Amino acid sequence: MKFTRRSSLRDVAAAVGRALREAGFDAVLTGGACATIYSRGAYVSHDLDFIVRSGGSRAALDAALGGLGFKRVHDRYVHPATTFYVEFPRGPLSIGNDTNIRPVELKIGKITIPALSPTDSCRDRLAAFYHWSDRQSLRSAVDIALRAPVSMTTIRRWSEREGAADKFAEFQAELARRRR
Amino acid sequence: MVITSSPFGGQARTRVLLALRLLDESYPRELARVLELPVSGVQMAVRGLERDGLVAGRTAGRMRLVRLNPRYFAREELQRYLLTLAGADAVLQNRVAELRRRPRAAGKPA
Repeated sequence: MKFTRRSSLRDVAAAVGRALREAGFDAVLTGGACATIYSRGAYVSHDLDFIVRSGGSRAALDAALGGLGFKRVHDRYVHPATTFYVEFPRGPLSIGNDTNIRPVELKIGKITIPALSPTDSCRDRLAAFYHWSDRQSLRSAVDIALRAPVSMTTIRRWSEREGAADKFAEFQAELARRRR
Repeated sequence: MVITSSPFGGQARTRVLLALRLLDESYPRELARVLELPVSGVQMAVRGLERDGLVAGRTAGRMRLVRLNPRYFAREELQRYLLTLAGADAVLQNRVAELRRRPRAAGKPA
């Protein structure tokens, strides 16, 4: 796939996800990229974070992304034709204290890639709100919940386990306010 | 700015409390930026709020970090009231939501 300045985050995520899978990597799209996709662009990220759960060496990673025109600069893969860049944060795949994360197969055009579910992406943003008081992340979590199917029961139970029942109530109130 | 009444004794005092409710912890220069108030005005408001026991501060390096006093006797009621007041101030909410508080790895583009 050839990237241009007009390539969207979804285009890049799909191409990278497919290249990783073809190279034998089990890599899950996480973080801000999922928030961008599920919030339908209400939140903007230029950073595609994949957590590698199994796969080959750094050299194999370089080769897989190199085939798409990405070059590694330290730990980041950049491309001359797009502002989106790819990183591989250290695992495990976790949200707060929860390490039992089940990725979904996210369909982008004709390609499917493993990614956080909308509920987990929402929880991922809320974790930053709960633990860093990051209200930008609260807004992203609300944007996701407004535009993608999320399980409020799952989010509530996890919030209680994180000791953030009061902040979950704030999330609910903000969601209700934005729905009005 | 939406707040027209000053239930905490002055516009600056009230707005500093609202911002601290949303930010959890902050410092006068950041509060001044968010509230579009002079730093000196924010510092004066913070000093008064500290004297009244509504706000508590600590020093980190050369910075004075302040937050709503966790030991204030009516902390929970105060937090609820401030959140209700802040809910009516869309401008403040937007400015606070523009601030990134979560960590960013060293060297990562902003």
